[in-house]
Amino acid sequence: MTDPRRPVLGVIGNDVPRQLVLAAGILPRRLHGSWTAPVDERAAALLGAADAVAARLLAQVRTEPLDGLVVCNDSQASLRVFYVLRATMPELPVHLLDLPRDDRPAARRFVRRQFEGLLAFCLRIGGAVPEPATLADAARAERAVGDARARLRERRRAQPARVRGAVALDALLDSARLDPATAVARLDAAVDDAPTTGIRVHVTGSGHPDADVYRVLEEGGAVVVSEDHDTGDAAWVGNAVDGDDVDAVLDGLVARHFARVATSPTALSADRADITADTALDAQVDIALALIRAADEAPLWDLADQRSALAAFGLRLAVVAPVRPGAELEAAREAVGLVHGEAVR
Amino acid sequence: MTEGRLDSAAAATAFQKQWFQETMQRVRDGEPLVLANADAPHEILRALDLPYVVNQWWSSIIAAKRVGPAALAAVASAGLPDDSRQYDVLPLGAQDLPADVAPWGGLPEPRFAIAERSGDVTHKIFEQWGRRPGTETYLLSRTAAVPAPEGWWELVPERWDEVFGADRVDLLRDEIGELVTWLEERTGRRLDLARLEEILALANEQAEWNRRTRDLIAAARPLPVAVTDSIPSVMVPQWHRGSAWAVAAARRLHDEVAARIEAGAAVCPDERRRMMWIGRGLWSDLDMYRSFQDDFGAVFVWSMYLALAADGYARYGDEPLRALAARFVGLTDLLYVPPMSSSWYVKEALAHGVDGVVHLVADDTPGGELITQALEREGIPVLEIRASNADARATGTVRERIADFIRDRVPERS
Repeated sequence: MTDPRRPVLGVIGNDVPRQLVLAAGILPRRLHGSWTAPVDERAAALLGAADAVAARLLAQVRTEPLDGLVVCNDSQASLRVFYVLRATMPELPVHLLDLPRDDRPAARRFVRRQFEGLLAFCLRIGGAVPEPATLADAARAERAVGDARARLRERRRAQPARVRGAVALDALLDSARLDPATAVARLDAAVDDAPTTGIRVHVTGSGHPDADVYRVLEEGGAVVVSEDHDTGDAAWVGNAVDGDDVDAVLDGLVARHFARVATSPTALSADRADITADTALDAQVDIALALIRAADEAPLWDLADQRSALAAFGLRLAVVAPVRPGAELEAAREAVGLVHGEAVR
Repeated sequence: MTEGRLDSAAAATAFQKQWFQETMQRVRDGEPLVLANADAPHEILRALDLPYVVNQWWSSIIAAKRVGPAALAAVASAGLPDDSRQYDVLPLGAQDLPADVAPWGGLPEPRFAIAERSGDVTHKIFEQWGRRPGTETYLLSRTAAVPAPEGWWELVPERWDEVFGADRVDLLRDEIGELVTWLEERTGRRLDLARLEEILALANEQAEWNRRTRDLIAAARPLPVAVTDSIPSVMVPQWHRGSAWAVAAARRLHDEVAARIEAGAAVCPDERRRMMWIGRGLWSDLDMYRSFQDDFGAVFVWSMYLALAADGYARYGDEPLRALAARFVGLTDLLYVPPMSSSWYVKEALAHGVDGVVHLVADDTPGGELITQALEREGIPVLEIRASNADARATGTVRERIADFIRDRVPERS
């Protein structure tokens, strides 16, 4: 259960090293938005041409009980959310986490300063200075979440899969919102009694804020066994480093940041394509599928490389784009048809 | 009296054509060409005496020569999106056009492509450049606008840390240093810091002339020069920022504007509505800017090009790489991130006595609504047009919409 006395830090984006926040006695709760909630007109106008999920997130922030919010500069949509909140919601403590992507000495120094800034923000909203014991506890707790996510990954990739993608994604999303112990239980409970069969699909493209689209795909005869978008299995959750003090942990987290392949809006297309192909191959999929929302530009630029990387292994990439606001589930149904059509070719 | 085209605009355009020919000759003679995004620190390239072309300038030429659709088709044929960041991607597409179709015979393959990682896509566009034969890409980090103070134009020449944050400036300074090393290793050239200081001083001098010119135009009634003239008069020298020619060109523009004001010149003698154009220029239809004069007495008195050149570029400091970093670390944020952007547009609109604003909001420019709100709070009507300036397919009805806006919402001056 969530400790009611523990401050809650809302998180938008995929760059927050949760271990650091947990060590400060704060619960990180990632906000994902949704596929199908109505888009608030004012939020959409303030954001301009942005992914509809960003507008839904903006509305969600206004209703969540948060002690503070950190927004990651890992997409233009998230950054716009930050700018709008800073300009229009002064009552909410909001902090931007701004991490460069190219691993060079100057960028490493900057990322470290950014993590220090994140820690200072945690203290500002009621957190405590991390001690060696709390750092170690946070690392253990976060690793346990990572281990549970790995177990879930194994169940999804089994032949046949032992859990549907929608069930798995729900648990993965929750694991980024719950306290670690509850998250572990939630992840381990994500099991289907009967083996799950169907066309094995890897999902790439835009992030999935909830499992609605996965459900449509699976009702249509697919089973989503893997993904590389940033809200599912590829989210930066369950990762921790060892260190005797804050400095050592910060250094370790900086190294981890540069070692991962980030989300499409910040990564090179070649790197994204490698992740897509490697994951799809590992999961023994029949086909890869990209659903890309309107105004989510970055994944569009990855498609050519992804197609090429998948083709090297004899795999096809089905694409549904742009997915326009209000037509998300229709797009999912279109994807079902594409998956069936492409998988049998 | 009405006035024809500015001599400085014609001179700038002529110089640019001559410069392009000379630059291409240097490349044919074996020098490495650099394709630099507008937000890359060109001054380094000038100090290293590397011939460079600015991506967005080349894009404007492609659009103005009506080759944009062909360039976008080439992008699409490579499996890449043709409806994303068109303004930044036109040169990539144009690179695959035949020489007799590409503007001015086309651009040779660059040896280096340099950009900041702005937005979700710039790094991917430049990743594509880096795959072209013989081209290597270097990406600089792009940090976000924290802080974002109002009134930045008073602070930014010398107190830039207060405007952008010292950490951000330090990061870009260090990365520019890393870029210099990267270029030195590949070209065998060495950066002369004294030469860089000289270039920065010239760039500051250029900015000061632009500031004086902007102030003259803001105060003048009626408007003495068309924005379609002031844009090339400012932007061509901007691409040559830090050169003696650019300073002379900026001064020439100033002197010409002053002379026109002295002579009582008017772009539109029957000036009844003063308009502001926020956003990138509509290069494919420059005649549009003057097309509302006869029917409405409406004249565009402001574009961001002179105004940003006036307020956004000057940086004074003892450490040249840091001063250079301070110029670029948040330059586009000044235009797009509220409250920096909104407070500046309001300041400029009031200074220029603007009656109405046309606000071209591209997909990649945030904060449009907050800018519009800030202007409307001052009682200035705003027409928002959501389109890319580089995509003629999306701007076909602009003239009609502006005409309706002026007719319906922009009152005549008595």
